[in-house]
Amino acid sequence: MKVITAYCNLRANEALVNGEVIARRDAGSEDSWFKQIYRQQELAYPKFYKMDVLSQAGYLASELMKRADPGIFADYADDEIALVFANASSSAETDRRFMHSYESGGSPSPSLFVYTLPNIVLGELAILNKWYGENMFAVLPKFTPGFYLDYSRILFASGSRALLGGWLEVTANGTDVFLFLVEEKVSGTEFNDENLLHLSQAGAVAAY
Amino acid sequence: MIYIGAEVIVSPLGDSAEDNWNALRENRSGIALVPSAGFNQEDIHLSKIAGLNGPLRFQQLVIKALSALKERIDASMLASDRTIVLISSTKGALDDNLHDQFSQTCAAVKQQFHLAHLPMVISNACISGVLALNMAGNMVEIGQYEHVIVIGCDAASDFVLYGFQSLFAVSDKPCAPFDAARNGITLGEGCGAALVSASKSVFNNTPLQLLAGASANDANHISGPSRTGEGLVRSVSRTMQRHGTGTDEVDFICAHGTGTVFNDEMEAIAFDRLALSDKPLNSLKGYFGHTLGAAGVIETAVCMQMMRNGMLIKSLGYRDAGTSKPLNVILENQPKELRTILKTASGFGGGNASLMIRSL
Amino acid sequence: MDSLKEDLKKQIIEQLNLEDLTAADIADDALLFNDQGIGLDSIDALELIVLLEKYHGIQLTNPEEGKEAFKSINTMAEYIRKRKAA
Repeated sequence: MKVITAYCNLRANEALVNGEVIARRDAGSEDSWFKQIYRQQELAYPKFYKMDVLSQAGYLASELMKRADPGIFADYADDEIALVFANASSSAETDRRFMHSYESGGSPSPSLFVYTLPNIVLGELAILNKWYGENMFAVLPKFTPGFYLDYSRILFASGSRALLGGWLEVTANGTDVFLFLVEEKVSGTEFNDENLLHLSQAGAVAAY
Repeated sequence: MIYIGAEVIVSPLGDSAEDNWNALRENRSGIALVPSAGFNQEDIHLSKIAGLNGPLRFQQLVIKALSALKERIDASMLASDRTIVLISSTKGALDDNLHDQFSQTCAAVKQQFHLAHLPMVISNACISGVLALNMAGNMVEIGQYEHVIVIGCDAASDFVLYGFQSLFAVSDKPCAPFDAARNGITLGEGCGAALVSASKSVFNNTPLQLLAGASANDANHISGPSRTGEGLVRSVSRTMQRHGTGTDEVDFICAHGTGTVFNDEMEAIAFDRLALSDKPLNSLKGYFGHTLGAAGVIETAVCMQMMRNGMLIKSLGYRDAGTSKPLNVILENQPKELRTILKTASGFGGGNASLMIRSL
Repeated sequence: MDSLKEDLKKQIIEQLNLEDLTAADIADDALLFNDQGIGLDSIDALELIVLLEKYHGIQLTNPEEGKEAFKSINTMAEYIRKRKAA
């Protein structure tokens, strides 16, 4: 059966891997929350600093999952892991910054413009991991387990063997990031509506 | 069998697939020089729809296309629980609401057409349209829905134009895909729509067959095309494998062909690796400009019109070979019976997608 | 110390978000677009064009021209001085 074998949640003040808090935000720090995680975890990928918030979120969450289990993606060929991501705000945060660059900053910034598409994070993960598999980014009103469940049936029927799902909602109003890996195993946390919804909310209460 | 039909194109060349076909047959382009459109007030070539101004342009286009599609199908299926609408787009209603680019349009469309489900938005840069058609085919194939309407739409905006200007990627003449003197894209706006269905009887006119395909990432660069065409090669290979299609069965390729030096070169390398470089091929960007999230749907609709009319449309703007691997870019319209067309798309984020359309 | 070169280093770090570097990490003759040097990419090159206009009032209309000018901090400083003298 299809099971959720690993997951990561980035909340406003905490980062959790498989439900365990692994980093807490330092309210006194001048660094952004994502930069704090990057530094605390001693990650080394200088391109991180150039990424927009969606790509930073996808990068951090997937790297934290790898850190908890370094062999997590090792069982698959380079085109067998499908990336299925979604959010509600598309790339609005970066869109706003790009617009600011030409309305108030003198001229349009090419390095911001290339991130004004929500699917760029999929490209960043593909580049980092050398993944040549299926990609999908949808813009949905809210986190909807059914979207991932339905699309996973399509992907598993057409050659993908694992699915890295993601919900990346990072705006001025909040941080709601959830990545999860779905694989075929004999036992484990079944990949269904209820479990996905439950895991997506890990750490949500602690944030308030 | 998965059917596709009731295609609609709303572009500077007309409001229906037939109007657009008539323009394409005469090799008319929607591209014109727009004075002072650029960031530094430069004159810029754009493919813009006359009369499409003011607020809610994205919503207007989507509703116009869906209204036209409704006339070509058994309209009672619109309200069915077994029907869903997919909207493929990059920037949606960005000019209306930067922070929420899609939900107002989705709600308006649901209400106006009495849909059972809110439309779902697919946003994967320039492969959005082909990806949404593939998703539609797959949804129907595994029985999630019986009917899936795909609407690809993007409206022109200063935002996107200034962005491509900052990349020095905007052509100083109408774009010339695959040509030796190509030097960038021409942006366009438009909307394409088609119905993908398990049922042949919902179409007023005979549909065609959709052979849904695969997507593949280049794993190379977020904005630069791959130097090896790896993602496009994998996407097309997997699409053909899935349907047991041999290279000898592909009659024509409707390529992505944006008109940038590196994209078109990448495609030539990929088609060479796929042993498809002798196939007649065009890019439709010389007619519509690059319509981003709409391109895959508009161009697939043109493929369907080419099949229905038994005619290949020449690749406008192409004169001299300009890629390191040869391509059979067609220089004149040609009558031809078409059984199978391959449609490809590639885009930012390293995405590549492909599908095939087959005559019944 | 050449203040134009020091300013350039700070501007590059700021404009290109090279937060893991300080001005002291960038040698005047280090190759900016070489992986053994600073490892900038094609988008960074375009961002340097924005930088030239923003901080130095120099417009560059052909990215090809940037290829020579952006080799190192030395070549950038030389290019800026030449354009300003012209």
